[in-house]
This record gives sequence, C-alpha cells and structure tokens, in this order.
Amino acid sequence: MDEARKPHPLVDATEANLLEETFPYDLPPLIHLDAPAVEIIDGRPVEFDLPSVRARDICITDTTFRDGQQARPPYTIDQMVRIYDLLARIGGPGGVVRQTEFFLYTKNDRETLDRCRALGHRYPECTGWIRAVKGDFRLVREAGLRESGLLTSCSDYHIFHKLKFASRRACLESYCEVVAAALAAGIRPRCHLEDVTRADLDGFVLPFVDRLMEMSRGAPEELTVKIRLCDTMGFGVSYPGARLPRSIPKLIYKLNRECGVPGERLEWHGHNDFHKVHVNGATAWLYGCNALNATLFGFGERTGNPPLEGAIFEYIALKGGLCGIDTAAITEAADYMRSIGLPIPDNYPFAGRNFNTTSAGIHAGGLRQDERIYNIFDTAKLLGRPPRVALTDKTGVDGVAHWVNEFFGLKGDRRITKFKCHKLARWVIDQYEVHGRLTSISDEELQVQTRELMPEYWQKFKGQ
Amino acid sequence: MATVLERIKAVTARVLNADPAEIRPEHYFTVDLGAESVQSVELVASFEEEFGIDMDEEEALSIETVGGAAEFITQVCKRQGVPVEE
Repeated sequence: MDEARKPHPLVDATEANLLEETFPYDLPPLIHLDAPAVEIIDGRPVEFDLPSVRARDICITDTTFRDGQQARPPYTIDQMVRIYDLLARIGGPGGVVRQTEFFLYTKNDRETLDRCRALGHRYPECTGWIRAVKGDFRLVREAGLRESGLLTSCSDYHIFHKLKFASRRACLESYCEVVAAALAAGIRPRCHLEDVTRADLDGFVLPFVDRLMEMSRGAPEELTVKIRLCDTMGFGVSYPGARLPRSIPKLIYKLNRECGVPGERLEWHGHNDFHKVHVNGATAWLYGCNALNATLFGFGERTGNPPLEGAIFEYIALKGGLCGIDTAAITEAADYMRSIGLPIPDNYPFAGRNFNTTSAGIHAGGLRQDERIYNIFDTAKLLGRPPRVALTDKTGVDGVAHWVNEFFGLKGDRRITKFKCHKLARWVIDQYEVHGRLTSISDEELQVQTRELMPEYWQKFKGQ
Repeated sequence: MATVLERIKAVTARVLNADPAEIRPEHYFTVDLGAESVQSVELVASFEEEFGIDMDEEEALSIETVGGAAEFITQVCKRQGVPVEE
C-alpha cells in the first residue's frame, strides 16, 4: 500500500474547473473507458476490451409487451400500439431500440402485432415469443415473423422440476427439435436461456449452446441462432472476480469466446430482485453482449426488468452522443403510462414526477445560482423537465424564489430576486410554523397565493 | 426628512417587532436583534420598499449590522438617483 502513496499538491485556481469533458450538461454525464478489464477465468487472465463498446453496434431490445405485461393487467390493443409508436420515437431512426417481442397466442395478440406493423416503423422490429414446443411454432409461421424467442429454460430447477424432463439430454433434444423447425421454416430462433445465472453451465448450458452453434453452421447469417441470457431471478453479479454462474463477465466470456457466439447474437435479460438490474444490463453490454433487453420504466415480472429509459441514457453516455434518440419521448411515454394506470413512483429516475425536484433550501439556493449544481444534466432540454422545487418547511426563501421564477418562466437577468418573493415566502413558512401544516404545498395553492400576494408580477407575466 | 439610519431603525423595528429606541448602529440583525432567515429577506424587501430601490441579493444579504445597512443603502440610493438625508 505504501508504494501507491504519492503527494498531491494543490492545483490552485481562480476559475472553476467544471470537468465538462465528462459533464457536458447538454448530454448525460459521459462514461469514458480508458483501459480493458481483466478477469481470471479458469486460472488465466482474460482481457475484455471495454472501450470498444463505443464503436460496437450495441442496442436495446424491448419486452414491454411480454415480460412487462406479465406483471400487470393486460394492455388494450390501442395502448400497445401507442406504446410501440413511442418506442420507435425513443429509439430513433437508427434503431437504438432495435426489436420488441409479442405474444402470439390469442386473436388480440395477433391484431396487436398487425396494427403495430401497420405503423410502418422500421424499428423496433417485431418479433415473437413462444414456448419451445412445436405446436407453438406454427404461430410464428402464421404471423409471418422472421424471428421469434423460444423459451429454453436451462437450469435444472426448470428442466427437472418445472418441465419434468427425464434427463438433460431429453430436454436438449426437445429444444433442438424446435430450433431445427424454425431454421427449416426460415425463421430465426432466439433461444432464451431462462435461469442461466443458476444453471449448470458445463453440464447443460455450454453443450446446448455448442449444439445451437453447430445447427447454425451452414445457415444464412440472418437465420443463425441468437441467444438471450436470462437472469430470471436477478442472481447475476457484475463484480470482478465473482464466480460462475452468477458472474456476468464470465458468463458472456463462456458463450462469446468458448462457444463462439458473436456479440451481435447475444442478448441480456435481467430482473431486479437484488437491485442490480440496470448495472447488470450495462455490464453485459460492456463485456460483449450487444443487446440489452429492457422494458419501459422497468415494469416486469416481480421486481421488474432493466428500465429501457435507463438503458437509453447509459447508451448515450457510452456512445458520447444522442445517436438519433428522442429523449423527450421518454417524458411523453411516462405521462402516457401514468394516464393508463401504470404507477411510476414519484422519485423514479428520469421519469418520476419528482425525479429532479428538491425540497431542501440549500439545494434550492444552489439551483438558483447555477442549475448545474443540483441537476444531473439539462433535463429541460433532454426531457422537457426543468428542475423543480417542492415547497415545504425546509425549502426556505430560495426555494420560493426558484418556484416563482420557474412559474413565470423567467430566466437570466429577468429573474425576480428573493426579496420580491418575501410575502409568498412568509405565507409558506407560516403554513408550518403558525398553522402546523405537515404536507408539502401544491403548485395549485402556490399559484393562488402568488396571484394574491404578488399581483403586480402576476399582471406583468401572466397578463391576467 | 428622516435620516437613512432613522428610517432603517423604523423599518427594522416594524419587521422584527422591536423598540426602535433600543436599536443601535452596531447591532447585528441576527445576533442582537434576533432576525431569522426569512426575516432577513423581509428586512431587505422592506428596505427596498421604504427607499424605492432595488438591491443585489448577495451584497444586501452580506450586510450584518444596522450601521452597515445605513452605509450600504445610502450608496445604493446615490447610484439609483434616490435623494436621501444622510
């Protein structure tokens, strides 16, 4: 430890160093990767070229209509079509949101698919999702789809206790029969390795993947088998040095380099049972999985899936630019989802009503001096959501002044000083100190009081 | 016309509910006269209304004493063309 020690003389300055190379503000903070990562795998150091993520064709795939819908009452067809349209806008014409998947079991499922395709968006591409049984496979053919996910559960928990196969071999052969049928019908199979982070990799998963690679040899590139690594119970970990089957870097290494599955045919699907879902998904990107499977606002089975909007901002941070993404459509999607009953928590990142709202007076004071002090990036520009102050007994006069200026839409030299807001500030404080109020003050109440206590400003800026 | 200091004492007494006769130029608004955070803002706002001036937030809130306020406000009045009795 002594060898690492070195002196750090002060670098004096009279002007602020705002580290704008990393914190440009008109984009989310950028993630600069300078060096490869090294894992010890089977006793040998293995390098992972993390900086290459900037040039690699990473993308997001969506499962809002499948895993997302398994966690809630069904969407109506109209709702799904609207959400699909929003997904297309969010991902942009470049297809950052590359694919989405649909159930194919009911008449409504089929009508939804048809109406989404009728919108004419190139992205996200529509794919199917079925169980790995031949009977379900005809649904893919009938829907005219070019790719479908097949549920190929791969842990012994599933093989023996859920699916009741007599042996691993019986299971493998059953899965491969459906895969063969897909290839024969010209449909690209996407094998979902359910529960892979709790599976016997050497005993079943890797032999199965080897077999899938063998079946793909000789097939046209667009039909070669894709693999989705499904961290079904959220057991995956990103930590260097973690052991298989939980280690995400090592899992990807095994499939990517030992089995030879190229990154563009690898996809990560996670769950949030241990609060790791977003970072796990980004880790998969970094270590060689090109696709990250996500749902809007993370809604999905139990604790949910990687949040798509989180993946979007991570994508921008890794790529260093917007790449055609429409981030403002995330706000539109959040408003729409709330309007149809999806309970997005108020403090949910990027999309919650209060994700960039402060109640603390000292934070409000900082916001007034320079918005960047307490705002993660230009949320007004990227999400249509300027930082807000929620007025409570802790917010102080700075908070009141910030609210007033935001309400009147005043910027720069036009902003009103806190002295001009003193009557409103007194009213706010008296709510708590004189009247014993315990709740925060709503925008509606503040508007009424502003009109009464600051009539000259109301007249000037609201013209009423 | 009352002097700047007299007018400041009158305003301070009203805002802080104090006896103007007890207020001295050397008194600190917070420590001696008990002004809390919002009251400091109310004081400055009241001074602005009393003298018909606009004050810079940082400069105004950095003034700590009654006498300091008198000097500062006199300068601001001169800059903004407001006649006062010093």
